[in-house]
Amino acid sequence: MVDAVLALFQRPNFLTFVVIFLWGFYIMLTRYNLVKKLVGMYLVQTSVLFFLVSISGKKGATVPVLLNTTDPVRAADYVNPLPHVLTLTAIVVGVATLGVALALCAAIYRQYGTLDEEEVLKKLQ
Amino acid sequence: MNEHLPAVLFLLPLFAAIAMPVVCLKHREWSRPISLTVLSAMVVVSVLNLNSVIRYGEVRYAFSGWAPPLGIEWVADGLASVVLVALSVLGLLALVFAGPTAPRDLGGRVVHFYVLILLLIAALTGIAFAGDLFNLFVFLEVAAIASYGLVGVAGGKALFAAFRYLLLGTLGASLYLLGVSYFYAASGTLNMADMAEQLPHLLTSKAVVGGLLFMFIGLGIKMALVPFHVWLPDAYTHAPESISPILAALVTKVALLGWIRIIYWVLGAKVIIYDIPVLLLVGVLGTLAAVIGAVLALMARNIKTMFAYGGISHIGIILIGVTQGNKTGFAGGVFYLLNDAVMQGALFFLAGALVFQYGVRTVQDLGQIGKRVPWLTGALIVIALGMVGLPPTGGFFGKWYIILGALEAHNYVAVAAVLLSTLLTLAYFVKLFEAMFRQRPPRSDILQSELPLSCKLSLGVTTASIVMLGLFSDPIVQWILNQALPPTL
Repeated sequence: MVDAVLALFQRPNFLTFVVIFLWGFYIMLTRYNLVKKLVGMYLVQTSVLFFLVSISGKKGATVPVLLNTTDPVRAADYVNPLPHVLTLTAIVVGVATLGVALALCAAIYRQYGTLDEEEVLKKLQ
Repeated sequence: MNEHLPAVLFLLPLFAAIAMPVVCLKHREWSRPISLTVLSAMVVVSVLNLNSVIRYGEVRYAFSGWAPPLGIEWVADGLASVVLVALSVLGLLALVFAGPTAPRDLGGRVVHFYVLILLLIAALTGIAFAGDLFNLFVFLEVAAIASYGLVGVAGGKALFAAFRYLLLGTLGASLYLLGVSYFYAASGTLNMADMAEQLPHLLTSKAVVGGLLFMFIGLGIKMALVPFHVWLPDAYTHAPESISPILAALVTKVALLGWIRIIYWVLGAKVIIYDIPVLLLVGVLGTLAAVIGAVLALMARNIKTMFAYGGISHIGIILIGVTQGNKTGFAGGVFYLLNDAVMQGALFFLAGALVFQYGVRTVQDLGQIGKRVPWLTGALIVIALGMVGLPPTGGFFGKWYIILGALEAHNYVAVAAVLLSTLLTLAYFVKLFEAMFRQRPPRSDILQSELPLSCKLSLGVTTASIVMLGLFSDPIVQWILNQALPPTL
């Protein structure tokens, strides 16, 4: 048990991921304001991206741009570029989702005059 | 030329969706002919693609010539190609149905509607063909964003349903992405075929087990498996009449197809993690979904809600079929998936026609139209036969093979669940018919109003297909057994 806790603190990035993910999830579940729910949703999305970037890291490696073109490439010298590219794509997807979500929020506000989930549900009945 | 057909299938609706806002800025009335043309072309290309796959075997398409596993790969095998034919035909029919209904539902937003529908179809094509886990995520999200837009585009009550759908759908997508990154961290690859070679050595790795769990919950939300189904009934009930058929027929089914790909093509059918067979675990969830969905359908008052819950229970039945771990069950499950897509399309065409033409939304109101619209009643009877699963329809043969597969696997609980769900389905259709034939004072406006031809056409073609799929069930199932089975079964 103690080992597991110590191992966790060896990996601050993963710990951060778990904290941000659960925090976002908690906000999504407990807040009634629709925009606050979106903030929680965005935290969840971002935490996953943070995790994805974290797994590309290597000790003693640099950014994935070739240091020079003459030596043969040694993979251990560079961090893995693929997760970064995936993250970029996932950010674009996340932004598109957030855009649609904000548009829906705006439409809900225009229709019901409120962003509170309870009140919207009351007006729906 | 043949090997480019999958890419053509995807690019047709995508380019049309991108070009449409520009082209239709001044000529709103062009949007419908353009999308009908594109979808007709898609039907032709998908049939050509299926034909070429049948003749020359599966196509592995490497985008821009970058060979997998480094490049992005698409796999047009038997399973994907046959689902693509169903997808294009149902998409075309949904657009035909939307002709008269969409302008009334959406007013000036018809162009938005066509753009989103084309985007949705392009993304679903991508999900069916994807041979790469991250690619699958991107297309899942594009399809999801298009669906959120489609549910909410008409405003009104649908807005809040769309918002809830968005929250849950995004949570599901995030969990799926988390699962993919776990898999990537463990195996160092994203290509499905490549990963299938790596995974057998890694099955005890906690990263793979955790990743599988997250991926499964994520896709479970997307396909509305029972504990995660809460977004679906509201979204499909409140979505405009012209939109709910295409969502109900295609979105959850194609997510299920993506999941079948992962479980059979990436993991391998017989995979056992910590002494638990993964297939059994999912089969249990399918069993629950089949029964609970049908019970909830029985309790529903709104016709569209009832049909939406029916779809949830059928997702469970398909899952029971594909998780038996033998060929008969898998073929039955895939055949039932095709049938269910057609039946859900037909059901929501019918529900849409009821709301659009007669303003009938709840089961009780059905008595008002009753015997005065004989052909609508006829269509409902045929669809009911299919949903319950009586012999001349495809639903019967799908369930038959699923039950045979479950018997072969000695899984009697699954057999009982399919039968129980069948009885419950019968019960909720009896409830519908009882309401329909009860004597009620007729409404005077029913007699003179006749449904537009295109609505009749969509409903007629899907209803006929339910019977046709039953009549030709034997060659289709044989073909699935020969050409669409996963390599690991």
